[in-house]
Amino acid sequence: MMSIAARRSAIGTCLQFTKPTVNASVFSRLVKDFVPAASANGKVPHLISRVNHIIRPVRDPLLSSQFYFRSEFTGATGIRLAHTDIKVPDFSDYRRPEVQDPNKSSQDSSEARKVFSYLVTGATTVVTVYAAKTVVSQFVSSMSASADVLALSKIEVKLADIPEGRNMTFKWRGKPLFVRHRTEKEIATEEGVNLGELRDPQHDKDRVQNPKWVIVLGVCTHLGCVPIANAGDYGGYYCPCHGSHYDASGRIRKGPAPLNLEVPFYEFVDEDTVVVG
Amino acid sequence: SKMASVCRVGSTVGRSLAKYRNPILLSLRRQSSVSYAQSLAGAPETRLTALDNGLRVASEETGHATCTVGLWIGAGSRYESEKNNGAGFFLEHMAFKGTKKHPQTALEQEVESMGAHLSAYTSREHTAYYMKTLAKDLPKAVELLSEVVQHCSLNEADVEQQRAVVLRELEEVEGNLQEVCLDLLHATAFQGTPLSYSVLGPSSNARTLSRQDLVEYLGSHYKAPRMVLSAAGGVNHEELVGLAKTHFSGLSFEYEGDAIPVLSPCRFTGSEIRMRDDAMPLAHVAIAVEGARVGSPDIVPLMVANSIIGSYDIKSGGGKNMSSRLAAMAAEENFCESFQAFHSSYSDTGLMGMYFVTDMHHIEDMMHWSQNAWSVMNMCTTVTDSDVARGKKSLKASLVAQLNGTTPICDDIGRHVLNYGRRVPLAEWDARINAVTPKMVRDVCSKYIYDKCPAVAAVGPVEQLPDYNRTRASMYWLRF
Repeated sequence: MMSIAARRSAIGTCLQFTKPTVNASVFSRLVKDFVPAASANGKVPHLISRVNHIIRPVRDPLLSSQFYFRSEFTGATGIRLAHTDIKVPDFSDYRRPEVQDPNKSSQDSSEARKVFSYLVTGATTVVTVYAAKTVVSQFVSSMSASADVLALSKIEVKLADIPEGRNMTFKWRGKPLFVRHRTEKEIATEEGVNLGELRDPQHDKDRVQNPKWVIVLGVCTHLGCVPIANAGDYGGYYCPCHGSHYDASGRIRKGPAPLNLEVPFYEFVDEDTVVVG
Repeated sequence: SKMASVCRVGSTVGRSLAKYRNPILLSLRRQSSVSYAQSLAGAPETRLTALDNGLRVASEETGHATCTVGLWIGAGSRYESEKNNGAGFFLEHMAFKGTKKHPQTALEQEVESMGAHLSAYTSREHTAYYMKTLAKDLPKAVELLSEVVQHCSLNEADVEQQRAVVLRELEEVEGNLQEVCLDLLHATAFQGTPLSYSVLGPSSNARTLSRQDLVEYLGSHYKAPRMVLSAAGGVNHEELVGLAKTHFSGLSFEYEGDAIPVLSPCRFTGSEIRMRDDAMPLAHVAIAVEGARVGSPDIVPLMVANSIIGSYDIKSGGGKNMSSRLAAMAAEENFCESFQAFHSSYSDTGLMGMYFVTDMHHIEDMMHWSQNAWSVMNMCTTVTDSDVARGKKSLKASLVAQLNGTTPICDDIGRHVLNYGRRVPLAEWDARINAVTPKMVRDVCSKYIYDKCPAVAAVGPVEQLPDYNRTRASMYWLRF
């Protein structure tokens, strides 16, 4: 608290209130002019605590009036003078229970605290990696075929609609699919074929799940034309493009095609229905 | 070349003499060099006696014409509270301002007329008042010391006068950045405990401590069982004990209300404190882990480890071929102005670490390589036998070299008796150091350093100092 009394004049421009960082050498000249006779507790306040309260007057030679100042000391100055005044804050709010007591060594609990921290970190890492993997694979798999496309990938065929000896063609995955209801005679013939004769030897039972039904892709293995059903020399299919003859099991018998007609994955849902794909 | 020719002549003479095995000359040669082992075995014994009131008297008769005698007291800033932190230091200032029998000028005159030096120091766990004088003045010295410690006058006017001196000293110590840095290190490492207090105390206490506070401090801590009258030089132990009985029998050994101050353990907290000031030219950084207490068997391997890392100062002239790898690197890459490995031990804990001074662009490098030195050289399988052998030798050499006068010896005696209850002779240190193996160094260092939380204190332009989490992460390697 400071109070200044002075004669009325252009004082304002002449007075300077110094901040605590006034040069000590300025003090030494002025201090003796300012020593209060006695302060409250009877002790002579010493050099440094005056820092907060000094007013440094600037003597204007033109002014003849005398200034006098009265200053009081309010106790603790609040300036940091020394590094020993730095107080490390109390972090008790953040401490774990084992290290709350300042009179107990922290070494005993250090192992336990570390293990806990590392376990939690490790577990979180595992969970995070798993979560990240899940997220990433979800995004990546969004680029794969959508449900409607996948739905198109399977086809359900009602076998009751196909009379014996006849072949039906379906569009499946953009390709023709032949479903042939074979007669007993055809089945016997195909099963009896000598594998040595075949360009692409495959026994009939390896190409069908139920001998009554032959399900093959209607794509000629030569250059991709669609063979005609119930045509050709072997009672099967005949490809008109280059003259490939397939038998009732879809195997190549004559002509330029190298392989048998492809057998897709299919399964019989029940007696009358097969799902291909 | 004159020097060289003299050497050549000398060596020829020596060789020819040796050939003839002249007994007189042989004995001359033997006298001129005593082996290290012989000098250890031949060191004078430190004698220890205890008085009835618990005061211990210890001395080593070295045969010097001078002696150092003093009182080592088990009191320090660790025994203070937040309210009276700095009392010990203040008391040290008051000590030489006159006693009941000798007012200040009389005391000074007595001391000066003997040609003696009267000094004191205060540390966290010890306080010492000692006098260096001629051996024949021992009785007078003991008398004066007894007065200083027991009958210090402590008048109010002196207290006020010394207050200003203490405050000025506080200001001055701000310029000693090593002190500041290490004080801050203690403040943060042992936060919330008495070991965090600086010996100097905060300025607020310096302004408010009263005569009563000092008297209370004296009364609670200057007790006979916690004091050692130690002497080294041309002193006779019996004479010293007699003097002690004469002057120190009145020393109190009882506490008021039986309230014996007991030191509780001090918790170490891995933490960091930075006092950033970009206007300073150099940054002072200290990093430490909790170390070994004074009587721990791990002290010797840790001291060997510190010897291996060593110290460095840019003014010292050693360059890139220095034996400490860290020092060689620091010299070649200009990482720092100086560094040193240190280990401060207290009665139940310690601080082991590295302190370095560097400019603002090399702090990160220096911190990295210092931690590397800790982890690579001392913990992983890379402490070599030759490193350990070198460290052991240099540790032995420094232990011996420290005791180069009556005052260091007297100080050694005083501190040892306070810490261990006896003087540990050099031969024992030697034996303990010899027992250290590389595996021991690795194991002990791993126990104290590996994956432990360090305390870091930094003063100056410390922007480049890595974040504490990074420093903490460098305390271990992911090696499987």
